[in-house]
Amino acid sequence: MATDNANADGFGEVSRVRGILFEYLSLGASVAGLVALGVLLVYVAIDAFDLASASPGWLLTYFLTLVIPFLAFCLYSADDSAVTRRVLVVLAGGLVAVAVIFTAIEAFVVTIPRLSWQLTYLFVVVAPATAYLAYVGSHGRVGAVGFGLLGRLVGGTAIGLAVGTLFLVFDELVWFLAYTLGVLPAAALYAYGRRRDAGRAVTAAIPVGLVGLVAAVFLRGVVRTYPSDLIIYLWTLAVPIAAVGALVVDARGSRTAAVAAGGVPLALAIAGGFLAGNVGLPGPTTLIVIALTGVPTAIYVHRVVDVGDGTVGLGLPLLLAAGVIVGALVVEAWGVPAPDPWLDVSYVTEAPSRNATEAGLYPAIVGSVIIIALVAVLSFVLGVGTSVFLEEYMPETGVLGSLTRLLQINIANLAAIPSVVYGLLGLGLFANLLGFGYGTAVTASLTLSLLILPITIISAQEAIRSVPDDLRRGSDAMGATRWQTTKNVVLPEALPGILTGTILALGRAIGETAPLIMIGAATTVFSAPSSLFSRFSAMPMQIYAWAGFPQAEFRYGVVAAGVITLLIILIGMNGTAILLRNRAERGS
Amino acid sequence: MSNTSSDTTEDESLITTEVETGSANWSPALGETAVAARDLNVFYGDEQAIDDVSIEIPEKRVTALIGPSGCGKSTFLRCINRMNDMIDVCRVEGDVEFGGKNVYDADVDPVALRRKIGMVFQKPNPFPKSIRDNVAYGLKIQGYDGDVDARVEESLKGAALWDEVKDQLDSSGLDLSGGQQQRLCIARAIAPDPEVILMDEPTSALDPVAASKIEDLIDDLAEEYTVIIVTHNMQQAARISDRTAVFLTGGQLVEYDDTAKIFEDPEEQRVEDYITGKFG
Repeated sequence: MATDNANADGFGEVSRVRGILFEYLSLGASVAGLVALGVLLVYVAIDAFDLASASPGWLLTYFLTLVIPFLAFCLYSADDSAVTRRVLVVLAGGLVAVAVIFTAIEAFVVTIPRLSWQLTYLFVVVAPATAYLAYVGSHGRVGAVGFGLLGRLVGGTAIGLAVGTLFLVFDELVWFLAYTLGVLPAAALYAYGRRRDAGRAVTAAIPVGLVGLVAAVFLRGVVRTYPSDLIIYLWTLAVPIAAVGALVVDARGSRTAAVAAGGVPLALAIAGGFLAGNVGLPGPTTLIVIALTGVPTAIYVHRVVDVGDGTVGLGLPLLLAAGVIVGALVVEAWGVPAPDPWLDVSYVTEAPSRNATEAGLYPAIVGSVIIIALVAVLSFVLGVGTSVFLEEYMPETGVLGSLTRLLQINIANLAAIPSVVYGLLGLGLFANLLGFGYGTAVTASLTLSLLILPITIISAQEAIRSVPDDLRRGSDAMGATRWQTTKNVVLPEALPGILTGTILALGRAIGETAPLIMIGAATTVFSAPSSLFSRFSAMPMQIYAWAGFPQAEFRYGVVAAGVITLLIILIGMNGTAILLRNRAERGS
Repeated sequence: MSNTSSDTTEDESLITTEVETGSANWSPALGETAVAARDLNVFYGDEQAIDDVSIEIPEKRVTALIGPSGCGKSTFLRCINRMNDMIDVCRVEGDVEFGGKNVYDADVDPVALRRKIGMVFQKPNPFPKSIRDNVAYGLKIQGYDGDVDARVEESLKGAALWDEVKDQLDSSGLDLSGGQQQRLCIARAIAPDPEVILMDEPTSALDPVAASKIEDLIDDLAEEYTVIIVTHNMQQAARISDRTAVFLTGGQLVEYDDTAKIFEDPEEQRVEDYITGKFG
């Protein structure tokens, strides 16, 4: 009887205390970590841009000319009255709340160093609200167009600067010969073969290209006269980029639009390249930047105009530029006291100095960019090669299977070895034994590649393993060789995962200091490296050196500016890689 | 189940006679033999998956392999194009003849062999590429230098998929429904113009409507190709095949004959029990 009636009072209760406790502890831990990092970055940004001395008037001016128009743009794009209301409430309510709480803490608890309530409002309320709105706005067509255009402008500039930097070290004359003799004929053959359906032309492209490259290296020692750098960049980079742009537009639209999409950026690039010298900018780099920015922008603008939806969004870069200019004019006209940021143009274009106000990071930036480019190529090629070999070629059973497992365990262990040890290995192997020299860019690149190789291999293996076996069997059953299966099915499918792993590993490499110290890299050099074998410094090394300077300006302002530069370059690099990855994901 | 396994040793002589009776009964209309196995034994490690199977499969016909799970029919199918080579522990003894040549001879390149034999799997497995690239895959890896687009169209028509996808050849093969994906896999298999098409339970992951489309398609395919199909579905075997081979536990081929004979008047009691659903 008792059991029959038991359910009348419900089914009893099951305790969830431990689960709930765990949930909130995890949430608390992750929030605490993020908040701590956020506070640090806020202080670093305040130091780097000297925001502590920014007057409320200066902040208000740019808030009105730059932030408000941007928010309005996003709200216009989102076109959602609920979001608009919510954002207005948060901005207004946040203003009052931050002002009251900040003043209360200052009055009753403790004075908060180098922060005013206005700055706190900007960082705590406006910055997250802007990020949220940018996210919401990017889902509208207008916002998507605006951010797409902005992304091409920023991305093109960044890639152009990176290419210009790489040519500081790599011999542009070899590149000129290699392009003229190898790359161009191979590309022409390939295009011809594709268009005319001539399989032999396509097959001949690679051998012809290789012969051209070998001939280029050989001729470099023989040929004495070359065109100027500007002509070389024009011929080998700007013209082909413009041609590709014109072809892309041609495939979609009219001949005139194609000529304009290729021709206008090319003309601008040529003009920029030849005139840059007059205003003290390096001509070749200017040419590359304009070409790499202009052509994708032209293609994008053509497509947006062609589709005819959200063309208003194309005004976003203008809106932002106008905001900056108007803000600067107002500040100038009304004599609003402006902060003097440590991170300015001269900081990223000048050499280090004993004088804090003249100190620059340029040689270290160039050093880091070159090392990272080499590390990216080396670790990607070696990492993917090794992981393909281990996953696709080594058998899982028998003697070789045991060997594979042994290798596997050792690679996992290598990932856990402290970076100082890799520094020692680099010192012994590359600097001493192979004679690449102490503290040279090539020694550093090889050492850092070794350091991140295990991480790259393990993540690439994971990505390759996650490709369904069904696909491999399907390809095998079609009579594909193992190489054909790997190349056509496994690698394209695994590429996004492989790139994710490589991005994470590169993030580690760019911040490493210990192995660089071990191989004898200089903490400070005063000119950018001019070849792979010249001595260099990297950003973390230089920042570390400055942090030890006795003057407070170095320890706060200059170091903070260095950290921000390092982060911006890291984010730019990762952003590029993530874009590539997303493209690969969409392509498959 | 335990009864049948204890019977196996006594029946061994019967099996071989059964096959020979079967082949002796072939009418000339059946044509040439496309694939033949002689005294085939397959082991996974110590476990025997195929037990002394001999069979002759006629060309341009549909031959169904039926039997309960684990009876070795899929293993037999994978012996024909040597897909078993991929399994490290798999060991094959005996001959499998295709085009008059033992495919397990030392001078046979399994990759070259597979280019002559198409295969369709249980789960549709189109590549994460466009429909066009999926169908052209075999042509691409074999370095075909004719008109690829024409062959793609022809193969998609052959797989009864052309009308449904002709406007979206550049969209991903994964965007298709399950049944369409399976027909895409069939188009992929026939594009390089193989002689034999192996199908390993091609409809078991599909709904009945999609399955019946595939069945109609298999009928048409048999005009040009030798089709060997593994199926769990007895009605399907009865509907689409000309010849049926019944495998029972232990990897033995118990009976092999014209489909009508197998389903109406099987020689073996065990086959009748299996077909009428008494076990398996």
